[in-house]
Amino acid sequence: MPSAGLKTIIALSFVLAVGFLLVILSCALWHSYFPLLVVATYVLAPLPNWICSHCSAGPDDFVESGSGASAVLDLGRFFTGFLVVMGIALPVVLAHSRIIEIGAMVMSIAGGLLIYGTIISFTMFFQEEQEF
Amino acid sequence: MSEDRLWKFRKPEWMHSAWARNAGVYASGGLFSLAFYILLDAAVWSKRINPTDTHVTFIDWLPLIFSSLGMLIINSVEKQRLSADSFSYSGSGVAWKARVVLFLGFASLAGGMAGGVTVFVMKYVVRDVEWPMMGMGVENVVANGLVGLSSVVLWISQNMEDEYAYNLAL
Repeated sequence: MPSAGLKTIIALSFVLAVGFLLVILSCALWHSYFPLLVVATYVLAPLPNWICSHCSAGPDDFVESGSGASAVLDLGRFFTGFLVVMGIALPVVLAHSRIIEIGAMVMSIAGGLLIYGTIISFTMFFQEEQEF
Repeated sequence: MSEDRLWKFRKPEWMHSAWARNAGVYASGGLFSLAFYILLDAAVWSKRINPTDTHVTFIDWLPLIFSSLGMLIINSVEKQRLSADSFSYSGSGVAWKARVVLFLGFASLAGGMAGGVTVFVMKYVVRDVEWPMMGMGVENVVANGLVGLSSVVLWISQNMEDEYAYNLAL
């Protein structure tokens, strides 16, 4: 990754704010606060990956080729994938049953993807300082 | 190693990479999530909008529970124990046990898929349910198929991991 400076932080926080704006607007415009679940989902999404990478012994077990350690990592990846698709599927389910409107669905999906993209790119930019 | 190959076409290079393996595991989680939410969509739709008496009940969830259980069993078994015969390093017939457990897992997965089709036929097709309500049965079949697909993707990417680790060990 290239060196992440102040501009990256500003841009990322701007994108995060736009994402939250979209999700909250999708709730407030139609007075139905179910799309807030999308924010919770995307905030929880990197969590299984993080927990499982700390549960396994560290970066060394990757060389040992024992699949017991990487099974824990795979479990974390599985649940992260589950949560990411859940963030898209949940508004679609709600909109299909007309609990929320189609517009709210589109706005909450877009906002959720922006929030998750911010979290992912933030960890990608600032990983070096945490790991080493 | 290249003399042992059975097939004419070799595996493409990108299939050995750790990136493809991780992407496979993520995709498997996504497919499973899709399956769960498709069935949840059927249930919520049945509660909120459905004008008829045909509702999604616990019976509709049962096939998904069985397929998920089968998927859990299949992917919990250590794949390397399958090739190990009882007289080699793993004593007391671990390979045999692995095969039995794996058979139970596949039976549960296939039973879940068959159960999805059964519910679809018995509850929706035979009773001549109209189309928007028929969607609930179709969603059941699709959800069980997606669980099967997800478990296939997870299996393939875990086997890919073995190849990768082998290459790394050399």
